[in-house]
Amino acid sequence: MRALHAKLSAPIFMSDVPRIRIAGVHKSFGPLEVLRGVSFDVQHGSVVSVIGASGSGKSTLLRCINYLDPPNSGEIYIEGEPLGSRIDARGGRKPRSLAEINAMRRELGVVFQQFNLWPHMTVLGNVIEAPIRVRKIPRKEAIAYGEECLRRVRLIDKAREYPARLSGGQQQRAAIARALAMRPKAMMFDEATSSLDPELTDEVLSVMRELAVDGTTMIVVTHEMSFAREVSDRVIFLHAGMIEEEGPPAQIFEAPQSDRLRQFLSKYRK
Amino acid sequence: MSNALKQSFDLSAFWEYRSILWQGLIFNALVFLCAACVALSVGLGAALFRINRFLPARVVGTLHVELFRNAPDYIMLVWVHFVLPILIGLVIRRRVEFHPFVSAVIALGFVYSGYFAEAFRAGMQAIPQGNLDAGRAFGMSERLILWRITLPQVVRRMLPEALNLFISLFKATTIVSLIAVPDLMYNVSMVIQQEMRPLPLYTGAALTYFLIIFALSSTARAFSERWRQKIQA
Repeated sequence: MRALHAKLSAPIFMSDVPRIRIAGVHKSFGPLEVLRGVSFDVQHGSVVSVIGASGSGKSTLLRCINYLDPPNSGEIYIEGEPLGSRIDARGGRKPRSLAEINAMRRELGVVFQQFNLWPHMTVLGNVIEAPIRVRKIPRKEAIAYGEECLRRVRLIDKAREYPARLSGGQQQRAAIARALAMRPKAMMFDEATSSLDPELTDEVLSVMRELAVDGTTMIVVTHEMSFAREVSDRVIFLHAGMIEEEGPPAQIFEAPQSDRLRQFLSKYRK
Repeated sequence: MSNALKQSFDLSAFWEYRSILWQGLIFNALVFLCAACVALSVGLGAALFRINRFLPARVVGTLHVELFRNAPDYIMLVWVHFVLPILIGLVIRRRVEFHPFVSAVIALGFVYSGYFAEAFRAGMQAIPQGNLDAGRAFGMSERLILWRITLPQVVRRMLPEALNLFISLFKATTIVSLIAVPDLMYNVSMVIQQEMRPLPLYTGAALTYFLIIFALSSTARAFSERWRQKIQA
């Protein structure tokens, strides 16, 4: 009994420091305020889905989280460590250099809507590039782990092909393998199935589902409501750059509180 | 057939002097190779300046491109060989003289760097932003992105244009005889002064250039197409 208790309390202890903490993120492009103070935590091994209408700031949020678009204010913490700044000896905050931000952001794997595979490299070349050049992992080791990642996304037979010869679904699975190969602390999916034909979305979603079951920490921006409902531990509804409503999927999808969320969901029920 | 016409196709005089003409051709090849290296590296630098975020860098890059693209190579050659040494001499207060080979490489290298800069720039701007975002997201530095993601794609994209530029550059090496670089044309002129038979010698030179450029460029084109096709759907 005691052993079981210890086992159960371990994750509770770990959840003291969230894997990722998004704290008061603001982002504007000129006069356009896209994010207006977004805060939430992503616990170790949990899946957080971000839903919302187009233009609600979902993709910008992901780009702010890994500093592709640095937030105007607010901070991102990866396991308690601020991404964009560091605490110096006197306790003051100093913005990090680009090199330091690079070192931090490699902890976050990103899967883009448009896959963004590098067309001049084979699938395996795409997968091992960053582990070898950025993580400085020996080539042999990187290939072995890269092939394991490709097996996970069921693409090992395409390892030597160039991206142009793959279908959209295969390209996106290759992009997932590329992100996994960096052994990130969390994976971020930016509408990973939005540019795919409907018959190709399932193969990508099933890979994502398996990652979630395996305990991968994930932030998933998506329009696939049934996927969000089935896989997420927590769902965030973004509206006009702010969190309008958040909660467990059962609550968000069964008993939405706000009118805007009800309205948003009704479009998907049709 | 008129006598003169017959004479122009009788290439025996050209063949007779083949060893000295061959030496000249080697000079053409050397000037070409060195100038191509200068043009590629200076051109890449200028292109990086042209797409830089900082305005002063962009201005410098644009000035470079416009200056060298719009200067005739013939005049640049004369200017570099005869004027530039005087200017440098005035600054360092010592007599300076350039070896004709050096002048030829600098002049042609810089003129063609203007064209190569534009080819590089167009290639770089054609790379989808997402490709670079992916590199950044995985923690790659800007330098790593340039060498591993941008340039390998730029090289493939700009190959057809680069091949044309290389052909022009090789043809342009024929004007270096003007400042007494002993290239094929220079040696041909020397032989003509002795033999007084310009028709077969000039015709021979023209045919030689044509054959070399045609053979090299068609081979290069065939290879480059095969290479490019691999990454295109």
